[in-house]
Amino acid sequence: MRRGEIRRFTYVERVVHWVAGLSFLFLLLTGLAFSHPRLFWITTLVGGGPTARILHPWMGVVFGVSLVAMLAVWARDMLVGAADREWLRAIRHYAVHDREKVPAAGKYNGGQKLFFWSMGALGVLYVVTGIPMWLPAGFLGLGPFYGTTVNLMRLLHYVATVGGGLLLIVHVYLGTVAYPGTLGGMLHGSVTRAWAKLHHPAWDEGESGG
Amino acid sequence: MGDLTANGLRIKRVSASPDPAPGIRQGPEYAKLVDISRCIGCKGCEVACKEWNELGIEPTENFGSFQSHRDLTPDTWLLMRFNEVEMAGEVHWLIKKDACLHCEEPGCLYACPAPGAIVQYENGIVDFNQESCIGCQLCVSGCPFDIPRFNPETRKVYKCNMCIDRVESGLEPACAKTCPTNAIAWGTKQDMVALAEQKLERLRARGYENAVLYDPPGVGGTHMMYVVPHGDQLEEYDLPADATATPSALSTLYGLKKLGASALGIGLLAAGLHYLGFGPEAPEEEGAS
Repeated sequence: MRRGEIRRFTYVERVVHWVAGLSFLFLLLTGLAFSHPRLFWITTLVGGGPTARILHPWMGVVFGVSLVAMLAVWARDMLVGAADREWLRAIRHYAVHDREKVPAAGKYNGGQKLFFWSMGALGVLYVVTGIPMWLPAGFLGLGPFYGTTVNLMRLLHYVATVGGGLLLIVHVYLGTVAYPGTLGGMLHGSVTRAWAKLHHPAWDEGESGG
Repeated sequence: MGDLTANGLRIKRVSASPDPAPGIRQGPEYAKLVDISRCIGCKGCEVACKEWNELGIEPTENFGSFQSHRDLTPDTWLLMRFNEVEMAGEVHWLIKKDACLHCEEPGCLYACPAPGAIVQYENGIVDFNQESCIGCQLCVSGCPFDIPRFNPETRKVYKCNMCIDRVESGLEPACAKTCPTNAIAWGTKQDMVALAEQKLERLRARGYENAVLYDPPGVGGTHMMYVVPHGDQLEEYDLPADATATPSALSTLYGLKKLGASALGIGLLAAGLHYLGFGPEAPEEEGAS
């Protein structure tokens, strides 16, 4: 935390965020490598195809655990209320920086809450569809049906990957170059008062929630 | 992918390859024809397969069947399945030579994400290159016949390679060579289909009016075909009637894959264009921090 700034994220919140974020990035990149021949070269970055295949599911376990931790840390703060729904209705004004038409957000705006729950839902989908692909042969004793099961899981896993990848692009873009000062909150834990006033005018700093 | 073109073998398809295989020269397409009605159940083909391919010996066990092993393994690429079925009060062996069928449309190859791990040659042989295999086992779920087997120690998948080293030297596969009753014939696909027609005619004349040639169109036909005496009982032979290389889940997946990576690229592009159009939004008195 920097002097003169206000606390945005605790140490635990930052650790949980980066474990989830970096494991997700690893999963996204290796997953994309498996999904398209032109992207297979990405496996070289993590030690080759067989290594990528071994690491991907274990990194999935790390991501799954971090998902539970994120839920424990943030679920209460992320409950969507009437104010958030109003914010979401004005999201197109937010997208073009037309601030006057966007309702004042608390600690987390409606978009951040939507991102949190979307990523959580996708996370559950990744884990559920990933397990049969991890251990396909004889999975759950499904016999001849496991092939059909794995094929369906592959489809869902892939759709979730594209969805999660798009969410990550938006998340990283907004958290870095689009809104300077935001990344610091997740690195050293604090933001300036001016940043808070601009992005989260209705944030009551005394409370953790919003 | 090294020596794939060695010894005059011409590649038709390569797994996880964005580019089509050259396929300039056309070679003859070969096929095995297994006449189940001529099989006496001696399992000589199983032994020949193990010997030629130098596969590990696995102890047999008595589990109430004449079958040598319960299932295919990474070291057992060929298994004669002794399906016992009761017909008109008599027990019949509906024997199936369980091994890779070398599909014209190989579901394993389509499902494989590792470039060069699965190759289809112009002669019809579908072969696994273990040095390129990443051990994901998606070929196992992509195969409509449940053939490839994963070895957890080597983390690679194995199956019948149609004795490709024999075929490229002008010899027939070991199982066909050894069969004492000529139940396994080897030749060009065209000749084998013609031979099957003759065999079917003879079988029908002998009273097997349901005899059929098993060459499933859902996988574009196969390079191991069966003459099936009881063609109305394909399921009892363990021969799927509706085998397909692209079940609906996979054909949807392969279709989406053409868009998926592009969608992410467009996402990145959109973020860039948004930045150029609207720029960063920072608190006024501080600038970037």
